Amino acid sequence: MTALPLHFELPEHMAAEKFLNKLSKKINFQIASEHYATKTFYDSFDWRLYSAGILCELNQSKVASHISLIDRNTGKCLALENQQEVPSFSNQFQDGRLKTQLDPILEMRALLPLCQLPYQIFHINVLNKDQKTTVRIKFEAYENLGSRISLQPLKGYDKAVARVSQLFEKSLELVPTQSSILNSALKLQGRKAKDYSSKLIIKLDPELRADHASKVIYRALLNSIKINEAGTIADIDTEFLHDYRVAVRRTRAGLSQIKNVFPDSVVTKYASFFAWLGQITSTTRDLDVYLLNYKQYKAALPKSLQEDITPLYTFLKQKQKQAQTELATHLKNPNYIKQLLAWEQFLKEPLPEKGCSNAANLTIKELADQRIWKVYKRLIKEANEITEESPAESLHDLRKTCKKLRYLMEFFQNLYPENEIKALIKALKGFQSVLGDFQDYEVQENSLKKFSEEMMANKVESNTFLAMGVLVQYLDSMRNAARHDFTKQYALFKQEENRIVFKSLFAPHIEVKKS
Amino acid sequence: MKVIATYNIKGGVGKTSTAVNLAYLAAQSGYRTLVWDLDPQGASSYYFRVKPKIKGGSKELIAGERELDGLIKATDFENLDLLPADFSFRNLDLVLDTRKKPTQRLKKLLQPLSDSYDFIFLDCPPNISLLSEAIFETSDILLSPIIPTTLSLRTLEQLKTFIKENKLKGLKLIPFFSMADRRKKMHREIMETLSEKHPDILQTAIPYASDIERMGLERMPLGGYTNKSRSTEAYQSLWQEILNAIK
Repeated sequence: MTALPLHFELPEHMAAEKFLNKLSKKINFQIASEHYATKTFYDSFDWRLYSAGILCELNQSKVASHISLIDRNTGKCLALENQQEVPSFSNQFQDGRLKTQLDPILEMRALLPLCQLPYQIFHINVLNKDQKTTVRIKFEAYENLGSRISLQPLKGYDKAVARVSQLFEKSLELVPTQSSILNSALKLQGRKAKDYSSKLIIKLDPELRADHASKVIYRALLNSIKINEAGTIADIDTEFLHDYRVAVRRTRAGLSQIKNVFPDSVVTKYASFFAWLGQITSTTRDLDVYLLNYKQYKAALPKSLQEDITPLYTFLKQKQKQAQTELATHLKNPNYIKQLLAWEQFLKEPLPEKGCSNAANLTIKELADQRIWKVYKRLIKEANEITEESPAESLHDLRKTCKKLRYLMEFFQNLYPENEIKALIKALKGFQSVLGDFQDYEVQENSLKKFSEEMMANKVESNTFLAMGVLVQYLDSMRNAARHDFTKQYALFKQEENRIVFKSLFAPHIEVKKS
Repeated sequence: MKVIATYNIKGGVGKTSTAVNLAYLAAQSGYRTLVWDLDPQGASSYYFRVKPKIKGGSKELIAGERELDGLIKATDFENLDLLPADFSFRNLDLVLDTRKKPTQRLKKLLQPLSDSYDFIFLDCPPNISLLSEAIFETSDILLSPIIPTTLSLRTLEQLKTFIKENKLKGLKLIPFFSMADRRKKMHREIMETLSEKHPDILQTAIPYASDIERMGLERMPLGGYTNKSRSTEAYQSLWQEILNAIK
């Protein structure tokens, strides 16, 4: 049995009055309420709610204002609360169903308004001969977007709703729709849902000349830099800067790892520009990370010291604000804008008929194979040399090599069979995380020591330093655990199964002649 | 899920209007609420404009051949559903008697609804029978409206004795005055003396009022057609007292 259509679109020429007039000839109903309202849709910049099948709406009228979460597929209301405005972050909601549903999906991302739609709403009750409501109808007439009608079935009145649904479709010629009014509104803005994702998706033709393909990759990364720039400057949430930095780092990795496709002078010039961008954004990101970790830090302390760590939060917050202001100044500087524009211009320029080097004239698939295979071999060599006694630096160096390999695999992902490359990236990710933890805990330990010196000047209570000391110890134990875990994680990554796939995907094929 | 039965051995004491109006208030404050009209006269079904008829009648219902959930009707009010009466309910006693453990029967039937509702109100027929025993076994609260007359008091005491003798430990009896007429001297006097003798009687008394009687004309709970009156306030404070009594 196919599901009964419950949501309909009205033909554009049919106004509310005309429809109600037509309806009154067919069924007995009563208009329970009628008013003007505004609907604003919200989501995070990376469409987390939409991707989870949820729409978040703020509906405001003279009589009421409420936030609701709607199941995108069924139109069912999942949670509703009376509120005047939508808080930026899920943790700013009152305790309740809205918060419990939003929190795990949004995490640290802010809710932003997507579009605001003025509309007229009629609540209509379909009545039986006892004047009992058997079906509820919600009629929403939007400016410029036509009208939408939804049927709300009532328990125990299945036949009634089936009758009305059929009446709409057959006699009144309404068109059943599954797509939300949000999709129509976005279309009007020239946008579409999920038009941003922090994931790198680059479609490359394997036969494309390497230098051409490199430009395609850099253009995608530049786009990500530009798109996250405003949110980074405005400090809407931590992830704008994070995505911005990831794109910068990927560009840098590209410039160093997709070797020899552009003239050296170009590479040197922009490598230093992007290195500078990495540097001016790092302090803010580090502080963001400490603030995001703060809950975890607090939980790691014994109960008796948990409140004493609060001055650290205040300190971090203040420091972050300062760093953020400096960062915003840099990103508004004409010199930065000029260099970014020059890079954009370079990426737009047509390439010479013949590439500047042998590498530039390869197909991108050939170059990708070569580069990934070489870095993979280097990674294995470096990792094999690591023993229990190796200094921290050799693990840090290995981490850098892992990152290079990861970026290369991500750039060229779509040149390889999806399942296989995804499995390899996943394996690499697992291995990287133990190296990442090892280094991050060390950096955090050192930063905490540095912060405590600075905090001395602020007349902070001794218990706060005690708590920070415990925290340093905790981070140290976590770092040791990560170091200890290295052998196991590396064995997992290095295993034969992965090696065979790496070899089959990237190693040069030696043709065996049949005798 | 809490099951509240509005019950009295006597008829015409305001059981149905209590069930309907309190259920309405519970639903208004966000509790998922169901009214089960167990009275073959179908008065609460009438108030919600729902036909007093269920598929299969009392036989199939008690036999468990039909899940209660499939018989439930949404009312015109948010969070408030109704399980309608059926004329065959006049034989509920006889049908119950054919079952093993008849007094456990309602409890078993309601079990699957425990996740769907916060409150279930049982609107019970008057008299004391096998059905009432089954209701006592199922309910957490026996909400008993009493008209302030000497006869009503006797029935309250009968009920107390019955509960005690049948060792119904899980059942909390909550009596309150209903259809109280402050103009009548006898009502006033009985209410005063009785509150001393039976401190478990709730403070709030539901007045004898014309706007409550109008429910039959309006065919909806009091709150559906009256915004604020002495009667709506009385039901409000009664509901509050009940909520406090059950924590």
